[in-house]
Amino acid sequence: MTTAETPRQIAWKRRRDGLAKTWREFAAQKAALVGLILLGATVLVALLMPLISDDSGLNVTKATGAPLSPPNGEFWLGTDNYGRSVLLMTLWGSRVSLLVGFSAALLSVVIGTIIGIAAAHFGGWVSATLLRFTDFFLVLPSLILAIALSAVLPRGVGTIILAIGLTAWPSTARLVRAQTLTIESRPYIERAHALGGGHLHIVGKHVLPGVMPLVLANTTLVVGNAVIADATLSFLGVGDSNSVTWGVILEDALNNGAISRGAWWNVLPPGIAIVLVVLMFTLVGRGLETVFNPRLKK
Amino acid sequence: MTALLQLKDLNVTYATGGTDVHAVRGVDLTLDPGGTLGIAGESGSGKSTVAMSVLRLLPRAATVTGEILLDGQDVTAMKWGRLRAVRWAEASIVFQGAMHALNPVRRIGEQIAEPIRLHPSDGRILTEAGVKVRVAELLTQVDLPPSRAGAYPHELSGGQKQRVMIAMALACSPRLIIADEPTTALDVIVQAQVLDLLSRLVAEQEIGLVMISHDLSVLAATCERIAVMYDGEIVEQRPSAELMASPEHEHSRALAAAFPTVGDPVSRFAPATSTPLPPEPTDRAPAGEPLLAAENLRVSFRDRTGKRIHAVAGVDLTVARDEIVALVGQSGSGKTTLARTLLGLQKPDSGVVSYDGKPVPKGGAGLKAYRRRVQLVLQDPTSALNPVHTVYEAVAEGPRIHGLADERAVVTRALEAAELRPAEKFLDRLPHQLSGGQRQRVVIAGALALEPSMLVADEPVASLDASVRGEILALLLRLRRSLGLAALVITHDLGLAWNIADRVAVMYRGELVETGTVEQVLLDPQHEYTKSLLAALPGGTYRDDVKST
Repeated sequence: MTTAETPRQIAWKRRRDGLAKTWREFAAQKAALVGLILLGATVLVALLMPLISDDSGLNVTKATGAPLSPPNGEFWLGTDNYGRSVLLMTLWGSRVSLLVGFSAALLSVVIGTIIGIAAAHFGGWVSATLLRFTDFFLVLPSLILAIALSAVLPRGVGTIILAIGLTAWPSTARLVRAQTLTIESRPYIERAHALGGGHLHIVGKHVLPGVMPLVLANTTLVVGNAVIADATLSFLGVGDSNSVTWGVILEDALNNGAISRGAWWNVLPPGIAIVLVVLMFTLVGRGLETVFNPRLKK
Repeated sequence: MTALLQLKDLNVTYATGGTDVHAVRGVDLTLDPGGTLGIAGESGSGKSTVAMSVLRLLPRAATVTGEILLDGQDVTAMKWGRLRAVRWAEASIVFQGAMHALNPVRRIGEQIAEPIRLHPSDGRILTEAGVKVRVAELLTQVDLPPSRAGAYPHELSGGQKQRVMIAMALACSPRLIIADEPTTALDVIVQAQVLDLLSRLVAEQEIGLVMISHDLSVLAATCERIAVMYDGEIVEQRPSAELMASPEHEHSRALAAAFPTVGDPVSRFAPATSTPLPPEPTDRAPAGEPLLAAENLRVSFRDRTGKRIHAVAGVDLTVARDEIVALVGQSGSGKTTLARTLLGLQKPDSGVVSYDGKPVPKGGAGLKAYRRRVQLVLQDPTSALNPVHTVYEAVAEGPRIHGLADERAVVTRALEAAELRPAEKFLDRLPHQLSGGQRQRVVIAGALALEPSMLVADEPVASLDASVRGEILALLLRLRRSLGLAALVITHDLGLAWNIADRVAVMYRGELVETGTVEQVLLDPQHEYTKSLLAALPGGTYRDDVKST
């Protein structure tokens, strides 16, 4: 049959076109594009680490180098207190740091989106309660709350993710609520009501697709924050000290006297790695925000 | 005598993304000092472009060729300094939409004083006291108390804001005023007042007036001559009375027919449409039992100060099967609130809405079932459609909610019923790829897809062009005649009621002050408010015409 395409095909074609347009707008921003390429490379390296090298070099008992030797031909970034390669540790550390960053950001954005949409959509006492709840978390020092949470819960990567995820959502909730309110004031929502659409229909068909782009942009920004939060928590010693993360390398450097002995190569690589990863996420997030947030469009 | 304004072979082209849009093509116009000229046309006909070109207020993308002579001087060749002096001191503009043309954070006295300060008359700069006196004088001229100079725009009503705009235009005693749709957003009664004021001031001070509108009757009420523009060209230019009596060009006829004269038997049940209407079914029962009925309905809101505002104060209204009822009133009369309450979108304080003899359920499956029977058509189709949903998705929204089988057939049928033929051509379009009239048809199709027995239409044609207006009204009338679809049409436009409605209910300050058949209410109004509404119609009513000739 040669008739017109089915509506489903039409819808998919339109979505593809929309995606292509978004990509063009995003790619037009050089900084965002550079951020995305570097980020892709970083994620690739983190994923492929087990293929490039084995993690025996991280084992204190199997360390081959002299303790705290400065950068040389064998160990490009020197060694730590136990004689382990700092380069190897930093590269392996990206795995946990990125895992925590992504998972915690995802958790916080999911919580924030649900609470934000609910607060804007239902109104009345539901909204009032949720907003006060959000305000409460917003004014609470999130670092202290995260420390408290990870101190109470059993140690491990999961706890760190939970601690960061449960404290980082309020700003997302606020953003999503504001966007939901503007969407819900449009007459097509009124039309959907009059057609007999319930809450699920209105949120699912009109509100969620409307806030999704903004949420996506927000997520990338939150990932950066989560990476910092992860490093902070590990540095403070409430993280999982068995796994190698950038925060743990820094903590070790402090505890084992590497810093007081002037072993800068123990501190700078993980520190710079954190800065770079956060910067990449921020560049990509800002780029997405410029594409999606109508208020940032000129 | 040199003409006050003379346009010779004016052409304006907008360069937009590769393709040039020829907005104005070879327009010639002449206006004598103290003369009044109306320019009529639909949106996109180039009428506003002509007006803005006089003061060179067009965007950079516009290329102007031809001559614009203001008092014998060519505006297109003027140096920047000279142009600044001409702006406002010789010619001023009353902009469309007074809501947006006033700065919301400055007092209106300040805003009126701005041109006075910028253009000192006869080269002498007025003292602060002098400016104050002049502002007070201007406010008095536009019938506003001078004490209002200290008010902010949001403290004024729409009509008052438009008066302030006129005072601003008069500030430097110009010789020409260009009024761009000065009354479009205003209610009939306020519109009549503003038009009166404008014509009086122009006559008293011998100012030339160029007025732009899509409504011929508004122009006929104020201007000596009317030029009708279509697609960038002037298609007809004649004295107003002559043009109104016998419009020659096809497009002038369409514009004239779009705003019918109330009482004219020719336009009764005959909205301007290009396809003929089906005849009235012969077996039409006289207003049967009510389909939708409101009894003693009351709705109130609290304003910011906590004061109760009674938007709907005890309304009894019925709509029968196979009947179109027009609910008429000015903005703020509570008609939209009444409609939302009838649809169950707003909870009433007291009173009952019943459908088919049974009270409408407050929620749950009962309310959902009711909403399938009674459908809403909103005022502005552009915002009533989700911009990222295709026509198919927009029309299928209702059937999906109610789980109707064979969605595609339902959608195709609904689109055809709303006269979007062939339906396949429209399925994958997005709202911004459609014209205003087509968008409104999509909204109507979305309602029809549920096979309702009644439509509630809130100002269904208020944001549409004149020629489309008649088509949409004809569609409503056709649906009533062929499907027996009842409709409650909310409007501020008495001509619309005359065009298609069987009965009229007049709403004023939350109450229905008069209800009856169209002929009863519009030809023999009983209530003072209905009388004043009819008296304010710029085209007058048909009976008046008979009396005066």
